[in-house]
Amino acid sequence: MPERNIPQKTLESWKQIAAYLDRSERTVRRWEASEGLPVHRREHEKQDTVFAFRHEIEAWSRLRTRCSGTPATEAEGHPHANPSSNTYLLEHDAITRTMHCYIAGARAGDGDLMRPAFHPAATMSGYCQGVEYSGSIEHVFKWVTENGPAPNINPRFARIEIIESIAVVHLEVQRWSGKLAGTNARASDVFTLLKCNGDWKITHKLFHWHDQ
Amino acid sequence: MTKTEYLAEYDAIVNTVQLYIDGSRQGKSALMRPAFHPDASFFGYAGDQLALGTKFLFDWIDKNGPAPKIEPRVVSVDILDSIAVVRLEVAGWSGNLAGSGVRMSDLFTLLKMPGGWKIVQKAFHWHA
Repeated sequence: MPERNIPQKTLESWKQIAAYLDRSERTVRRWEASEGLPVHRREHEKQDTVFAFRHEIEAWSRLRTRCSGTPATEAEGHPHANPSSNTYLLEHDAITRTMHCYIAGARAGDGDLMRPAFHPAATMSGYCQGVEYSGSIEHVFKWVTENGPAPNINPRFARIEIIESIAVVHLEVQRWSGKLAGTNARASDVFTLLKCNGDWKITHKLFHWHDQ
Repeated sequence: MTKTEYLAEYDAIVNTVQLYIDGSRQGKSALMRPAFHPDASFFGYAGDQLALGTKFLFDWIDKNGPAPKIEPRVVSVDILDSIAVVRLEVAGWSGNLAGSGVRMSDLFTLLKMPGGWKIVQKAFHWHA
């Protein structure tokens, strides 16, 4: 595909992103909503425009799996889907995959979509507008579903630290929106993960909601 | 956060974690309980067994008894407004359940409450 040879490091439209991944625009828009395809937006007065970094698209493509944890296969036509052979990278990528399941659910406004990322006994803690929220992770699933889609969230991994069977991930999420989040809200999230039977699962979500 | 505020928060966080260390050293969960949020969680593998819940932790500490030679080191303290992460390495664990010379890596997440910083989760890795 000639598009792959474009020297610039960003893809500047849905059309270019779709061409780069050899898929339709409809498919890549769906991947953004449900599978965490890293697409960014530039704010304009009338309408936002999208762009993507090629290195992020490639990283996502390498990691892409279903939320169930089934690796993407060659049959799906992903030229970059070569699993990593380095032990550290394998763990790091597995953790990122779990986090992308959370992000996909948050973006789609679908608590059930993110559920596979969590341990069944997971809990959450944090304050939002002076009110403490602590307890079962079910509260998060309920909040996300009630909040509805947040298509513009822009998560960044601020930290991924792995200590053998446990890990901590600090995620900065900007441009939260929705029925409960309001508009353009920011959250700092700290997730603790545990490697259970070969799968990384979130055991706790701690958040700080930045009041506007 | 000003420099003074930062130091105050840092010290308050480390003091909370110190209660965990004191309870571990003396084998008395009563010393560490005030450091934990009532809904705090506890996760990790002790061998093949998944240890879950602060009740498990407190029972374990009491049954393990004194571990006078533990050498705790604070590896990192990260503060993000109302939340914090502390990584602690503890070498020289001993006791009825720990055996001897065991090393543990702990990740604590803390929440700033009206009553001070409380541990909301402790995750551990037991180095076999």
